[in-house]
Amino acid sequence: MRTKAYSEEGIFNLEVQHTAQRWGKTKLLTAEQVAAIVQAFPSEFYRRHLFIKIALFIFTWFAVSAASSLVFLAVFESGSGSGHDFEERLLLGCLLCGTLAIVLLEQLIIKNHLYRSGVDNALLYMAMGYFLVVLGCWYSITLSDSFDPEMLLERGLLWWMLLPVLAVLLVGVVRYADPFLGALSFLLYLGIVVALLLPSGLGQALLPFGLMLASALAYLLVRLLARRPDYLYYRTCLRTVKVLALAFFYLAGNYMVVREVNALLHGLNVSVQISYAPLFYLFTVGIPLAYITLGLRRHDRILLHMGLLTLGFSIFTYRFYRSVLPPEVALTLAGIILILLSGVLLRYLRPAKHGLTAEPADNPEFSVLDLESVVMAHVSEAGMKVPERGFEFGGGTSGGGGAEGRY
Amino acid sequence: MTDKILASLRALHLISAEQDAAIATYEREKPFSLYYELRTFLSLGVTLLSTGLGLLIYQNIDSIGHGAIVTVIALLSAAGFGYAYTRRQPFSWLENPKASTSADYALLLACLTFLTLVGYLQYQYNFFGTRYGLLVVVPTVVFFLCAYRFDHRGVLSMAITGLAAWVGVSIAPLSAFTSNDYALPHLDWVAIVLGVALAAVGLASEYYDRKKHFGYTYLLLGSNLALIAATSAMFRSSYSEAGFMPPVLAALLIVVLSAGLYWYALRTHSYVFLLLGALYGYMAVTYLFFQLSDDRDWDVLGFIYFPLSTVGVVILLLNVKKILGIHENKGV
Repeated sequence: MRTKAYSEEGIFNLEVQHTAQRWGKTKLLTAEQVAAIVQAFPSEFYRRHLFIKIALFIFTWFAVSAASSLVFLAVFESGSGSGHDFEERLLLGCLLCGTLAIVLLEQLIIKNHLYRSGVDNALLYMAMGYFLVVLGCWYSITLSDSFDPEMLLERGLLWWMLLPVLAVLLVGVVRYADPFLGALSFLLYLGIVVALLLPSGLGQALLPFGLMLASALAYLLVRLLARRPDYLYYRTCLRTVKVLALAFFYLAGNYMVVREVNALLHGLNVSVQISYAPLFYLFTVGIPLAYITLGLRRHDRILLHMGLLTLGFSIFTYRFYRSVLPPEVALTLAGIILILLSGVLLRYLRPAKHGLTAEPADNPEFSVLDLESVVMAHVSEAGMKVPERGFEFGGGTSGGGGAEGRY
Repeated sequence: MTDKILASLRALHLISAEQDAAIATYEREKPFSLYYELRTFLSLGVTLLSTGLGLLIYQNIDSIGHGAIVTVIALLSAAGFGYAYTRRQPFSWLENPKASTSADYALLLACLTFLTLVGYLQYQYNFFGTRYGLLVVVPTVVFFLCAYRFDHRGVLSMAITGLAAWVGVSIAPLSAFTSNDYALPHLDWVAIVLGVALAAVGLASEYYDRKKHFGYTYLLLGSNLALIAATSAMFRSSYSEAGFMPPVLAALLIVVLSAGLYWYALRTHSYVFLLLGALYGYMAVTYLFFQLSDDRDWDVLGFIYFPLSTVGVVILLLNVKKILGIHENKGV
């Protein structure tokens, strides 16, 4: 059995088609070339309309719920037991439903070529949910009376129990590369770090730094994984984790978050000044600026957007503790500054300067190349033929949906 | 990723070596576009500034005076209408091929400020007295005229919303006297009739080729209005006795309307109408199913009906592309 549920070739071909269409819009390829490429790289996958995806998700959810209620009915109605009767029956029901959902999911992916179509998402999430309930029931049966998360957390044992949950989620991530499961795994990973640090006094003091370190490690891991040859398969998932890692790296060092969480942990009604406050001022100001600079320099849109969002949150943090201007004056001033700034930049960055531009991406005017000569050279090259496998008209479902999703 | 794609294209001789090199250079050296970021900044700035100025004016209303504010709003509105008028295209029943974005936005701004102006005049000076209907009719008429003259779909939907509000406003006081039930069941009737009428206008404008592209807006708003009203009628009259139409009739009406939408979606290859038809139709059919089988065992029926019917809907939606006959990425 392959590790990956979806066909990697199909995903790659879809990417080739979209890239070719983009290059066609930029006039780097002729329209005939784009058509030939789309035929030569057929893909059974296509991107469905967002509305359709949502409707499919909801109806699949209904269908699976209705079907599993039949299973639960059968499990709970039959026979009678003792002791952990309820948990055991629940465990059995969830195990059955989860397995059925996974089998159905695999069948549908192979037969109907589903790829993030709403149906497979719903089936995957429900199956994962059932498996996690199975795990919970198992804990509850084996630990019987001492199953109390708060007590376990105090004794520093909770993270042991979270590890199998993370393992289950990671299996799902590796096989289905689902962004939502990726996000859940990342959050759980941070949860494990918190569960490790919280029980001891020293750990509580180091909590912000521990979380920042954990997020930084996750970010580095994402960058490492991005170099793998199968990056495309996991791209959306890795991007999601990247966003979360950047967000939590900032939030763990944000002055307001640290101060309020500190008050929460010590049971204070009013938050007080924290130790090492200047360090956290520095983080609050420095991290957004660093994100923005890095984003602009590396041409990384995720970094740039996270930088802008965190900058906004930093301003909010400042105004939360110090009231400098009345809100209406602050709003007016901020509006004027934003309008002036964007106006100046819109004018200044046209044409492109310092590798930045105010023109829309992939504007035909970008390509400073002598396109005509390239195209003419290409036309004279007689070898330009569509390879044989492209002529099969079986790939008729390919193509659509290029306009959605990207902007 | 670019290198990998280029390599596989080269391997199949789909691009020439020069193109390969040119595209690689382009991808490496193309500038980083800040287009959307700067646009977002600009609109965020406008929003912040207008909110801030609005608050400032509100706080200093005593020293500024209402007359000045009314004048400013009126001037703003007039400027917007004036700009749209200077950039106008000759009137035609077809879609305007060279619409100017700035003129479109100016018209939208003019219409919104006009609405504010009318509201402000009524609130402060009681301009229309107690003829509240007029308060809505005047902007509605203006919006309809503007939508057709300047070929603007956004203003058209504002006009249609105004029309619905006018109907609601004029009907509500009447029903307060004629009916003991304060839930206004008469509004359902009016909404259904208005919705069907709007949908008919949409179909007619497509059929007679009079502003064909307005058909979508009419049909979307009209069918939604009628379907929502019929749904509320269906549920209301099944819980309270003072219903104006039997719930089964309402459900049947929904089924008919959904079938109409389905037919329209097939004809125009439209996702939105297919989805609307499927969702409302499913609801009504489910209702009818349980209504007609009220004496039997609901549990068993539910256990059979829900899995089967939802699977049916899922299969319908999965094959939507085949059903609609869409081959390329078109249609909304």
